[in-house]
Amino acid sequence: MSFLRRKRLFIFLISFIILVALIGYSISERQEASTLEKFFNDTVGWIQSAVHVPVSFITGIAGNVSDLITTYEENKILREQLSQYKGLIYEVQELRKENEELRKAIGETDSIRDYEPIHATVISRSPEQWIDEVTINKGEHHGVKANMVVITADGMVGKIRTAYEFTSKVQLLTGFDQYNRISATISKDGKNNIYGMIEGYDKESKSLVFRIIEESEKDVKEGDLVVSSGLGGVFPAGLVIGEVKEVGFDQYGLTRTALVEPAADVYEINHVIVLDRSLEEREEEVEEQQ
Amino acid sequence: MSRVYIPLILFVLLILEGVSIRFLPPQIAAGDLLFIPHWILLFLILVCIFYDKPRTYHAVIYALIFGFLIDMIYTGLLGAYMFTYGFAMYLTHILKRAFHGNFYVSLLLAAIGTALSDIVIYVIYSVIGFTDLYWTEYASVRLLPTIIINLIFLVIIYPMFVKRFIRWRDEQDWSS
Repeated sequence: MSFLRRKRLFIFLISFIILVALIGYSISERQEASTLEKFFNDTVGWIQSAVHVPVSFITGIAGNVSDLITTYEENKILREQLSQYKGLIYEVQELRKENEELRKAIGETDSIRDYEPIHATVISRSPEQWIDEVTINKGEHHGVKANMVVITADGMVGKIRTAYEFTSKVQLLTGFDQYNRISATISKDGKNNIYGMIEGYDKESKSLVFRIIEESEKDVKEGDLVVSSGLGGVFPAGLVIGEVKEVGFDQYGLTRTALVEPAADVYEINHVIVLDRSLEEREEEVEEQQ
Repeated sequence: MSRVYIPLILFVLLILEGVSIRFLPPQIAAGDLLFIPHWILLFLILVCIFYDKPRTYHAVIYALIFGFLIDMIYTGLLGAYMFTYGFAMYLTHILKRAFHGNFYVSLLLAAIGTALSDIVIYVIYSVIGFTDLYWTEYASVRLLPTIIINLIFLVIIYPMFVKRFIRWRDEQDWSS
């Protein structure tokens, strides 16, 4: 009996050591996922994308019914907005054309606003809700790389954490911490832009923390639109992040921070677009030439 | 047959856990409460009670394998679910000897197993820094909702599988 008990204790201790070793391995700064992880994620991802279709059809029915009820009201509002947009589209086209011509004139064709879109579908979400992560059905094979920004039609939702061969993991904005900063800006009409950093997600107020760096911050108002500035080097410029909800001081009272409500709904995402910044490659080419 | 069916069902549950949040109404999913599906654990608790004999450890082995798969596919933190599920199944294996296998016992063991594994996961995650919830807050925001939703799941799968498990266990006797 004492031998049996000792054996049990032994097994327990060994498994505890294995646990610590595995955790240590997985939280170390790994550049790439191991082959085993790649293999299982791709295999399971393939089945997930097959299962995803009927499941989202069934769960969509309830949503469709409630959508139908509000259709009439929505239709009215949308029609009004549409007539406003028509004028806007014309204006945007003209501006774009002018911008392009001016760029050609100075010989600078790529800007930090340009990107190559990769369309993807969300096939699963981590059941462990402390890890804000979804899986999409596009991977390295389709040109997705780690750290690319992921958006929906409403705005930014996150960035690629790991890219496997045919699937990738997206870290959502709600899971951002101080290690995932985004350089962002508030665009002001006729005045200097306000620059700052998105420094993570505050779970209590359900908003992103925007630390203002530039000193001309006196005119930050609620409802101001925060967009990415493109200065971080990874994300393209001009992507909508969210709206300012509240302005206050940080915990030391030294800098001003704004709480930003994310524009995109991170709980109901189906289709996303992964953005491959075009400018980066060009810079690399220049470096190679040098 | 059970050697094929049980892993297959576990695999289906593994896939379904990834879309589990869609089964909840959006208002609840976006709310403060966290509902974590531990479906694989619950299915294995039934396997442990009704399929495993006192000397076989199928449930523990499956728990280790599928816990590791959850770690790889959904969390990226290897070892946490594997260790937790394996530990919970081993305890269930010991505890089930004290009871007769019936509905109320499975409900009790499922509640103990879910609570235990969720608490162990909370401890591991807070040590690593994935969460900074205080434990009283954790108990009300995540532990209770998780136990309740998982017990509801158990009530659904119980009538579907128990008869089959007992039949498979008896077939095991014949073949061996």
